[in-house]
Amino acid sequence: MKKHHISALIFLAIALVAAGIAGASFLSMRENEYIAKGPGVSEVKMLSDWFPALAGSPGDTEVYILRSESSNDDAASMLVLGGTHPNEPAAFVAAVLLVENAQPSAGTLYVIPRANNSAFTHNDPQEGSPQRFTIKTPDGDRVFRFGSRATNPVHQWPDPDVYIHASSGQSLSGNETRNLNRGYPGKADGTLTEKVCYGITELIKKEAITITVDLHEASPEYPVNMAMVAHPNAMPLASETVIGLEMQDIAIGLEPSPVNLRGLTHRELGDFTDTLPVLMETPNASQGRLRGKTDEALVLTGIDPWYVKAEKLGRLYVPYDGNGHPIEERVGRHVAGIAELAFTWTLNNPERPLEFSGLPSYAELLDTGLGIWLKAPEQ
Amino acid sequence: MSELLIFIIMVGVFAAVSFALKWPVSISMLLAAIAGALAGGEGIPIRHLVEGSFGYVDTILTISTAMIFMNAFKESGGLESLSTAVIRRFHKIPALLVILLMLVAMFPGMITGSSSAAVLTAGAVVAPILVLMGIPAAQVAAFIAMAGILGMIAPPVNVPAMIIGGGIDMPYVGFEIPLLLLTMPLAILSALWFGYRYIKKTDMKKVLAALDSTTLDKYGAFRLFSPVILVLVLMVADRAFPRYSNLGMPLIFTIGAFLAFFTGKRFNVLNAAKLAVEQALPVLGILVGVGMFIQIMTLTGVRGFIVVNALSVPPALLYLAIAVSIPLFGAVSAFGSASVLGVPFLLALLQQDQIITAAALSLICALGDFMPPTALSAIFAAQVVGIKGYGSTLKKLIIPSLVVVAWALIFIIFSKQIRGML
Amino acid sequence: MKIIYLTILAAVLGLCLWNLFSAKKPSLQATAAMVIVPLLLRLFLIN
Repeated sequence: MKKHHISALIFLAIALVAAGIAGASFLSMRENEYIAKGPGVSEVKMLSDWFPALAGSPGDTEVYILRSESSNDDAASMLVLGGTHPNEPAAFVAAVLLVENAQPSAGTLYVIPRANNSAFTHNDPQEGSPQRFTIKTPDGDRVFRFGSRATNPVHQWPDPDVYIHASSGQSLSGNETRNLNRGYPGKADGTLTEKVCYGITELIKKEAITITVDLHEASPEYPVNMAMVAHPNAMPLASETVIGLEMQDIAIGLEPSPVNLRGLTHRELGDFTDTLPVLMETPNASQGRLRGKTDEALVLTGIDPWYVKAEKLGRLYVPYDGNGHPIEERVGRHVAGIAELAFTWTLNNPERPLEFSGLPSYAELLDTGLGIWLKAPEQ
Repeated sequence: MSELLIFIIMVGVFAAVSFALKWPVSISMLLAAIAGALAGGEGIPIRHLVEGSFGYVDTILTISTAMIFMNAFKESGGLESLSTAVIRRFHKIPALLVILLMLVAMFPGMITGSSSAAVLTAGAVVAPILVLMGIPAAQVAAFIAMAGILGMIAPPVNVPAMIIGGGIDMPYVGFEIPLLLLTMPLAILSALWFGYRYIKKTDMKKVLAALDSTTLDKYGAFRLFSPVILVLVLMVADRAFPRYSNLGMPLIFTIGAFLAFFTGKRFNVLNAAKLAVEQALPVLGILVGVGMFIQIMTLTGVRGFIVVNALSVPPALLYLAIAVSIPLFGAVSAFGSASVLGVPFLLALLQQDQIITAAALSLICALGDFMPPTALSAIFAAQVVGIKGYGSTLKKLIIPSLVVVAWALIFIIFSKQIRGML
Repeated sequence: MKIIYLTILAAVLGLCLWNLFSAKKPSLQATAAMVIVPLLLRLFLIN
C-alpha cells in the first residue's frame, strides 16, 4: 500500500468517526418527547385521520381532543397549534400545558402540540441551537426538544431556488418551502409541508373549528412581537381579547393580518375556511440574530447581555432588561391569551359557549413556575 | 470568556494556520472553529461542527455539478469553439461586444441567484473570448467575478434580497425595477472599465486570423453548443414555469454534462468528472469549514457580539457601518451576511423605502463574494481564467467595489426620492 | 426528485472519495475528508 493511501485511510476513518458521532446525535432527535394525557383529554387522533395521505409520513402528528360532556355538533370549538416552528419553545410548551391541564366544560378544544412534526427532528444549521431543554417538575425532569423553524430536509429535499406559494403565486426565498407557516391553505399533492398545511385546513373545515390560535415566538428585534395578529374576520374577537389581556396587566399589541403576505395561518385560514384565525407572538432571544451565547439557559430565561445593549440602542420592539423574558412569562402570555379568547367568545356568543378550567393564570405561572403544571413521565 | 476574546482567538488561529503554516483555508477554518469552541467552554462539539457544514450541502452540489458540466463542455471542444464563433461574428464592434459579454456573463446569476453558477458557466464561456480580445488575464477574472455578483443581484432572482425581506416578512415583490436600476449602470460601467481600455488597442483582424476552428467546422456550431443552450433553456424554464419545471441547478448541470458527452470530441467522462471535483474541492472544503466557523460563532455568542456592535455605531456612522461590516461579514458568506446583518440594518432603516433599501443592502451583501477567505466569485473567476491564486483578481476589484458600495448607499440615502421617480 | 438528487449526491461523494485516495498532499486529503462528512450523512438521510 502506498504512503498516501495510508494517510487517506486515516483521514477517511476520522471522517467516519465524526459522521458516526454527529449522526447518532442527529438521530436522537427523531424520538418524540413525552406528553401526558391530561384529565380533559377525551381522544387522541392523528392528523392523517383528516387527511389520510399523511399516514406514516414524518408530517403526521398527534391531535389531542378535549371535548366537554355537553359538546355536540353545534358547539363552539378552538384549535391550538403549537410547534409550527419548533425553535419557538414557548409555543410548544404552552400547547403541552393545555393538553395536560385544560378541562373543558363547554365546547371542544383541539390541540396539535407538534404542528410541524418533521421540524422537531433536526436543528437549523449555523444557529448553534441546543437540541433540548429541561423543565424541572416536582416528580422529575421534563425534557423538550428545541427543533428547527422548518421541515427536516431529510423529509423534503431539495429546496427550489425560489418558493412559489401555491395558491397566490407569491415568491419567497427557496428555504421557505419548508416553513409550515408559509404553506397554507396547503396542497393535497404538494410537498410534505404543503400536505401538513392541507391536513390542518381539512381538520378545520371538517370539524368546523370556530377559532384557530397559532402559537409563535419572535426574535426581540422583530417588529411584530408581544402581539396578536388577526385576520379581518377575527378582528372583533381579537380586539376585545387584547383589551381583556391589558386589564390583566399583560401588555399586548394587535396587528391586522397583512393582505399581501401569503401562506400564513392568520391570512389563509381566514380566507379559505370559516374559522377565526389569530396568531400570537412572544419574545424569544434564542431565535434572534443579536443573541450572545446560545444554550439551554438562554432558551429558558431569555437573559442575554447583547439584547439588553440592543434595547438601549433602540433596536428592539420589546422591553428588554437583565431579567430577560423567562419561558414562564412567555408560556403564561400564550395560555392567558387562549383563555381570554375563549372568555371573549363566550361573552359574545352565550348560546355557543367555549369554556375550560384547570389552566393557570399569567400571574400564577410567574409565581409558581412551569414545573408544577407539567406531569413527569410515568416510570 | 468574553465574546471579544473568543473572536480574537478564532481569527488568530485562522490567520496563524492559514498564513503562517500555509495550510488550506478549509482546515484553517476547522481549526479556528475548534479553538473557538474550546475557548467558549464547549469542548469539541462534533455535532455542532458537522451541523454547521449542512448549511452548504446544496451549494456543494451546485458547484460540483457546475464544474463537471464545464469540464465536459471544455473537453468536448465546445468552449473553445464558442469563443471562435463569437469573435468571428462580433469583431467589428468591440465596445458593444464587451457590454454584451458582460450581460451574457451575468445571465446565469440573474436566473439562479448564484454568483458561483454565473462565474463557472457563462463566465467560463466569456473569459477566453475576452482573453483573445487582448484583455490581461487578471482583468478578465475581475470582469467575470463582477459579472457574477451583479448577476446574482440583478432580477429576477436575488436571494440576499429574499433573505433580507424574509427577515421582516416582506415578500419578494416589486424588486425588479429597483434592482435593474442598481445593477445595469454598474454592469455597463464595469464592462467598459475592465474591457474597453484594452480592446481599443487590439487588432481584431490578427485575433481573427489566429483562431483555430477545426473542431467548430467538424461538428458545427449548433451541435457543439447545444449543451450550453440546453442548460440555459432549462434554467429559464425553471424560472419562467416554476409550477411545471423544477429541476434545480445541480440536475440541470448534470443533464448538460451528459449531453456534452455526445456533441463533440470524445473524452473520458469519469476522468473529466474526477478532475472537476478535484478542482472544486478546495472551495467545497472552504464552504464546509465556513459552516463550522459560523456555527461556533453563533454558539459562543460571537455572532451576536459582532451584530450588536455593528448596530451600536452613532446614526451618522450607520452608513459607514453598513458599508464596512456587511462585506466583511460576507467573508464567511454573502447569504449569511444578508441574514445576520442585512435584516437588522434594514430594521434600523425603517424610515426609508423598504424595497429600495433592501435591494441596495443586497447589493452590498453580494460584495461578500469578493471577500477572502471564501471570496467564491473571485476564486472561481481566477480558476476559470487559469490564474494561480486570486490575489491579483482581488486587487483589480477594489476600486469597482468601492463604486458599488457608493452606488448602493446613494440608493439607500435617497430611497424615498428614487421611489418618487419610479 | 429526492431520489435523483440523492443519486447526484452519491456521485459527487464517490468522486470526493476517489480524490481522497488519489490526492498525494495530506492537506488536500483532509479537505476531501471534511467534505465527505455532510454528504455521507445526507446520503443516508440522517441529517
